[in-house]
Amino acid sequence: MREKDEIKNLLNNVLAKVSAPEAQIVYHFASNLASRLGENAITQNMGGEEEYVRLSIAYGKKCGSSITNKLDDKSLTKLVERAEGIAKDSPEDPEYMPPIKPQEYSDMPQRFFDDVAKFTPDDIAEDILKTATIAKEKGLKASGLFEAGCATAALANSEGLFAFDKYSNLEYSTTMHGQNGSGFASENNESAKRVDAERMARTALETAIAAQNPKEIEPGDYTVIFEPRAVLDMLSFFPWNMSARDAEEGSTVFAGKVGQKIFSDKVNITTEIDDPELPVSPFGEDGLPVRRTVWVKDGVLQRLHHNRYWAAQKGTEPDPILYPLFITGEDRSVEELIADCDKGLLVKRLWYIRYVDRKEMLLTGMTRDGFFLIENGKIVAPLKNLRFNESPMVFLSNIVEMSRPERVDDWAKVPGIMSENFTFSSKTESL
Amino acid sequence: MKEYTDLALDIARSAGAHFADMRIVEEQQNRVYVRRRSLKLIDETETFGYAVRVLINGAWGFASNTILNKDNVAKTAETAIAIAKASAKVPKDVPAEMAHEDSYIDTCVGPCEEDPFKIPNSEKAELLLSACDTILNVPGIAMAWGLLQFVKMHRIIANTDGSYLDLTNYFTNPSLNAVAVVGNESQDRSYQGGARQAGYEFIREIDLVGNAKKLAEEALIKCKAEDCPVGIMDLVLDPMHLALTMHESVGHPTELDRILGWEANMAGRSFVKPEHVKNLTYGSELVNFTVNNTLEGGLGSWFYDDDGVKMKKFPMIKDGVLVNLGTTRETVPLIGWERSNGCCRSDDFTHFPINRIPNLYMEPGPDDNITPDDLIAGVDKGIYIEGQGSFSIDQMRNNFQFGGDMFWMIEGGKKTKPLKKVTYQAQTTQFWGSCDGIAGKKFWRPHGVMNCGKGEPMQVMRMTHGASYTRFRNINVGGAKL
Repeated sequence: MREKDEIKNLLNNVLAKVSAPEAQIVYHFASNLASRLGENAITQNMGGEEEYVRLSIAYGKKCGSSITNKLDDKSLTKLVERAEGIAKDSPEDPEYMPPIKPQEYSDMPQRFFDDVAKFTPDDIAEDILKTATIAKEKGLKASGLFEAGCATAALANSEGLFAFDKYSNLEYSTTMHGQNGSGFASENNESAKRVDAERMARTALETAIAAQNPKEIEPGDYTVIFEPRAVLDMLSFFPWNMSARDAEEGSTVFAGKVGQKIFSDKVNITTEIDDPELPVSPFGEDGLPVRRTVWVKDGVLQRLHHNRYWAAQKGTEPDPILYPLFITGEDRSVEELIADCDKGLLVKRLWYIRYVDRKEMLLTGMTRDGFFLIENGKIVAPLKNLRFNESPMVFLSNIVEMSRPERVDDWAKVPGIMSENFTFSSKTESL
Repeated sequence: MKEYTDLALDIARSAGAHFADMRIVEEQQNRVYVRRRSLKLIDETETFGYAVRVLINGAWGFASNTILNKDNVAKTAETAIAIAKASAKVPKDVPAEMAHEDSYIDTCVGPCEEDPFKIPNSEKAELLLSACDTILNVPGIAMAWGLLQFVKMHRIIANTDGSYLDLTNYFTNPSLNAVAVVGNESQDRSYQGGARQAGYEFIREIDLVGNAKKLAEEALIKCKAEDCPVGIMDLVLDPMHLALTMHESVGHPTELDRILGWEANMAGRSFVKPEHVKNLTYGSELVNFTVNNTLEGGLGSWFYDDDGVKMKKFPMIKDGVLVNLGTTRETVPLIGWERSNGCCRSDDFTHFPINRIPNLYMEPGPDDNITPDDLIAGVDKGIYIEGQGSFSIDQMRNNFQFGGDMFWMIEGGKKTKPLKKVTYQAQTTQFWGSCDGIAGKKFWRPHGVMNCGKGEPMQVMRMTHGASYTRFRNINVGGAKL
């Protein structure tokens, strides 16, 4: 893995070959170990690393780009020639934005840890063995993905800007199947100290055992408690609808809604940049330093995402990043949400979510890997999966209670949520 | 290249590998992307890399690299061997083995009449700008976008069977989309012709600019249309729509790795079991599905799969009965079959080849004289659906809900009015069992899919489907809350 100064020299050497007045170059390196578990055995086991650069050139508003993973001098010269050739031949882009001046970047919470970078295939195999052994002891079949990797990213431009980021990631997930039900769990973090394969396996095991022999339930409108994983699944289409420009053109659910109350008072959605539990890159679009942004406050839509071009048109600051998204919660556990529920359905995870109506952000999908009936504050039975047809707009409007937020994935920190009148539309027999 | 592949295979053999291969992949890609009237992307990409895959004592190792010299090839082979030894710590109940395959020495180049990499990028940009401009000039249109993607994929595969394959394929992938806004309503209409293994001649054939205005007008029609009715009714589905239906409800459930449980953590498993082959009634007697990885222009026609199996044509569903599966050399011994039928592919050199959907299509109806209008004439109350929209199916590939891109009410045997937000729900074998009419051969159309996601880490694969217009009886329509 190249260090920061070596990458800076590499990018500057490429920029020095450029004859066009404006250029930007982005560098990425990733090394990755990825092992797949299926039916309690390793089915695939991979390792590799790759680096590539993307060079963007502009003559006025005539632009062109080229990408290569061949970083020898001859190939980089060809890269420059190719990008310049494309740019010279291009029609003008009326929305072209020039490279930005050098920026100051704040110190960010650490997101590279040696303990992950030093992971070996044997280390991963040990964690997979723990997972498979826990499943086998109870007669279950485990599958999963176990990945360890580290990466660097850098950006330089013809204005003299240089931005750099380096991060690691350990990401495990497992699904455990019995004859008549399944459970899922996952953990991911930049540091190996915060990922525990045994803890993950026992969580999946506990759900899988509880999920056996589910009973049928009729589709309809229910009070639901979504665990944080399911909340994240339900909100997965949310960021794609946050373009300020699309909203102004009337094509998204947020059209004409800035300044209006769109969710329950309890909903606050932000992009945070200084949480050590979910560290972020110091730079975003074109090398802009990241900053905290409030999107929704007390249920009122405050702002939508502006890229550099649209921000310039609207006379506002651009939003360098959208992720990671944070939703504030309340000071209670998911178990306390369950205890507070007279009758409802506990959802661990959703699957195969797609639009039904893009404009209204109406989605369909199904429950998966743990779906339970709650009565009088207790989980009383596993259920057969149902298909939902519902909008996250409704889900976030009908909130009863929330739990403490937690990092579910590397792009969001969200609470568990109890919400009313969530619509399930049909049954699915699959377990 | 052979000196490098020989080196890797020799190292693997010396380490006791029962099977090993080295796959060298060189890819050129060219993309032009226009959004509104802005040329958002115009680029060319070249990537190069290779992977060594080894099977030692029934356990797999796989390593990839981007720098081709003897030191790096040796290092990559040794890394793959070390990874195989790590895999053996969590062994399979039955050690992995590869089904027998003949050895082949072959060089093949796929169809490409007009090399897309020699067409000026400005011509491609002007085409998309013109198409988007045509759409945006229609009052009520809020947004348009278009993409042209061209890929040249060159693979060299050498394995310990003695095969040495030099394979080149070209892929051409166009997209065009119109977004209309009328009051609080917004609807899309998209180019639905899919991708093809071809050169730039495919772009000339489909006339994106000439068809752009129709997309815009139909997006507006959808905005003003009535919502989906609710009830049990008949469907007439066009070939482009059916490409997605068959992909999700026939292609994926018949992948043997899913059936064996290897995809359970992500994509899921399958309701199909190995013993269903020759026993499961998958559809009505009219329903015949063919796998054809030699289909001219098919995105899955790669000559040889990444296991080194020569690609072929065979029936998957015959007269409504499941008769075969999509398989790999590793999966077939586990169900007692002798040979793979060549469905093992990887999307790039960094990824382990896995069981993928082949070119899979539904045969046209037996009567060449049956037209789409004849099918519609036989419907008292139903919906005619064109193109692809919403799609969602459970992890066993049983319960699904699909939408579409354009919808028309059928009443008294005639298309009467446009509709929007149409969905239908069904169970896989019930749906294909309800098929009672298929138009003739002249209405059969292929549809190339460039973005089939499967596997962990995710791999994005290409294949082609196809169908004639087809009718289905008594389907549950409109279950979604609107």
